[in-house]
Amino acid sequence: MSLFGTTSGFGTSGTSMFGSATTDNHNPMKDIEVTSSPDDSIGCLSFSPPTLPGNFLIAGSWANDVRCWEVQDSGQTIPKAQQMHTGPVLDVCWSDDGSKVFTASCDKTAKMWDLSSNQAIQIAQFWDTRSSNPMMVLQLPERCYCADVIYPMAVVATAERGLIVYQLENQPSEFRRIESPLKHQHRCVAIFKDKQNKPTGFALGSIEGRVAIHYINPPNPAKDNFTFKCHRSNGTNTSAPQDIYAVNGIAFHPVHGTLATVGSDGRFSFWDKDARTKLKTSEQLDQPISACCFNHNGNIFAYASSYDWSKGHEFYNPQKKNYIFLRNAAEELKPRNKK
Amino acid sequence: MGRKKKKQLKPWCWYCNRDFDDEKILIQHQKAKHFKCHICHKKLYTGPGLAIHCMQVHKETIDAVPNAIPGRTDIELEIYGMEGIPEKDMDERRRLLEQKTQESQKKKQQDDSDEYDDDDSAASTSFQPQPVQPQQGYIPPMAQPGLPPVPGAPGMPPGIPPLMPGVPPLMPGMPPVMPGMPPGLHHQRKYTQSFCGENIMMPMGGMMPPGPGIPPLMPGMPPGMPPPVPRPGIPPMTQAQAVSAPGILNRPPAPTATVPAPQPPVTKPLFPSAGQAQAAVQGPVGTDFKPLNSTPATTTEPPKPTFPAYTQSTASTTSTTNSTAAKPAASITSKPATLTTTSATSKLIHPDEDISLEERRAQLPKYQRNLPRPGQAPIGNPPVGPIGGQYGGHHQGMPGYLPGAMPPYGQGPPMVPPYQGGPPRPPMGMRPPVMSQGGRY
Repeated sequence: MSLFGTTSGFGTSGTSMFGSATTDNHNPMKDIEVTSSPDDSIGCLSFSPPTLPGNFLIAGSWANDVRCWEVQDSGQTIPKAQQMHTGPVLDVCWSDDGSKVFTASCDKTAKMWDLSSNQAIQIAQFWDTRSSNPMMVLQLPERCYCADVIYPMAVVATAERGLIVYQLENQPSEFRRIESPLKHQHRCVAIFKDKQNKPTGFALGSIEGRVAIHYINPPNPAKDNFTFKCHRSNGTNTSAPQDIYAVNGIAFHPVHGTLATVGSDGRFSFWDKDARTKLKTSEQLDQPISACCFNHNGNIFAYASSYDWSKGHEFYNPQKKNYIFLRNAAEELKPRNKK
Repeated sequence: MGRKKKKQLKPWCWYCNRDFDDEKILIQHQKAKHFKCHICHKKLYTGPGLAIHCMQVHKETIDAVPNAIPGRTDIELEIYGMEGIPEKDMDERRRLLEQKTQESQKKKQQDDSDEYDDDDSAASTSFQPQPVQPQQGYIPPMAQPGLPPVPGAPGMPPGIPPLMPGVPPLMPGMPPVMPGMPPGLHHQRKYTQSFCGENIMMPMGGMMPPGPGIPPLMPGMPPGMPPPVPRPGIPPMTQAQAVSAPGILNRPPAPTATVPAPQPPVTKPLFPSAGQAQAAVQGPVGTDFKPLNSTPATTTEPPKPTFPAYTQSTASTTSTTNSTAAKPAASITSKPATLTTTSATSKLIHPDEDISLEERRAQLPKYQRNLPRPGQAPIGNPPVGPIGGQYGGHHQGMPGYLPGAMPPYGQGPPMVPPYQGGPPRPPMGMRPPVMSQGGRY
């Protein structure tokens, strides 16, 4: 766990430059910068599972590539491999044994990337399901905006504020359709587990700077489920209207059960959902934070700083560098002691 | 009797002349409508209070009370609920009320109940433009024979089904005519009285109580009407009556809180083919019922649920199906629903359309350049073997699709040129989620 003790010197092994920044706010938290970051916005991040020794980070970007780094305990990041799609990569995830990475892209394909052979096979295709022989096809009522899986539960959030929970045992089937606890477009979802390490609920983020914590079978739904506001500029009541930013990603700490949210406002926050308190909010980065992820033991928190299109096309600056930052997450995400 | 109550029996708002059941409600109304700061929406207690607030907090002067009728906009008058109302205005109000009660008493002798007055007058104004002409032409013949109106009256209701077509066009006309009600009030009543007398009132009186029961009633009325309907004399009259009768018949329901709701659906079963038009009409009518029911503020609630409950099951499904049907068919340029961004105090940092940021971004030509073009390899694409190396560049059998293939509605399939012979396309939304494939266990 000796990583990132001092963040000052690290991260510069690559091409990243911290030095010149006086007013530059691209890394106000002084976190470790991943080397050779993608050239376009990073849409998704995923750390390798515990079955793989070490920490490997996968990132998919709008530059159509999927990159893999090895993250060493010292904080050094070594680019390992890269795969390409023909369209922006929207999501990535690891197989349980850590040997394969699944990637899904706007080019309407999903691929399985075998890391050992460094080959990627197309395993799914958008509109012609016959050709890829899926084991099962589940129809969704609307476009899927985000999803998460922790066996045996899967949650899918769709457009028009749709929310469906699936149970994956035996034959995966729809478990329940839930009335959305949020009033705005769903943006991200993450499942959390209970003390027995079983998935028991999920956190759902919307574009309206709000996260809903929802339990699947709570003893007292009215009390147990709640929402909280986040990623808003503190508009002092009358002077300026409050800016409300989208929650771009939610990730749960695998050990502590606390969660992190990242938003379009360029901040990340850590929360304790059981104590219902905020643990920390970061300084504001100059770009939105588009994705986040914890590594398998919760020591590393990775977040990507790149434009998420929240202000439309006009604010897109292709020249702006996209970063992935790594932060020591062991201490800051410890839960607050509930009185 | 003891000292006469100064307040008047019902509290009323000096600024806008509205009646309220309770002084508490009146005060709430004043705070929300007249004493609310237009800048920060803070509710004050009095007019001068509002003025001071605006000056101190926003450095803005305010010279008139918001939403007040002309003549009652004085911001310096300290009025709170019923307190502070100048004596002369109180007297004026009392006089007005007396006038109204006098009129209603007169009416009462002819009518069964007070409720109909407003309805009738209101309705009569609204339908006045239309019924006027036929009525005028109609009355002379009616005036001569004293009898025909009598048997004619019961005959009129049965004439209603054919009269129905008149209703939808009339209905949208109602709201604009409504404001004309007060001035026209007096006039209309007399007119209708002379024309219809009790005959019309009676059947209506019979109808009113059921209220929401009217929809089933009305279509069933022709058979249900006890009077046998001396048909012979009627047909020529039905034409002229046609326009007026439903006008009159429907007038009372129209402004009444409970009835308007069922009204639109009444016509619906009779003209299922006009269902489309109904749906369109109900929109404005439904929302316009709000101002119609403005006086009894609380009664807007009951009609609201009945209205959606009854009509939306049919009408709005058509409208929703229309909209959802429109969505996939729409091209990229048509806008999806826009977000409701809260205005005064907060602002969503998000593009207006209610599509995901990724959808929006993917529309850019920049991100579609690399997508395979339609002309590429034919479908039948087996799960290709190791595509080779780092760059799974040429995806054989990648389904070709137009550059616009990632439309906001995700309706890739319809956009794909059908050269593929139309393989079964999964509905939109199934972006190949990594999870559902390949067993991630």
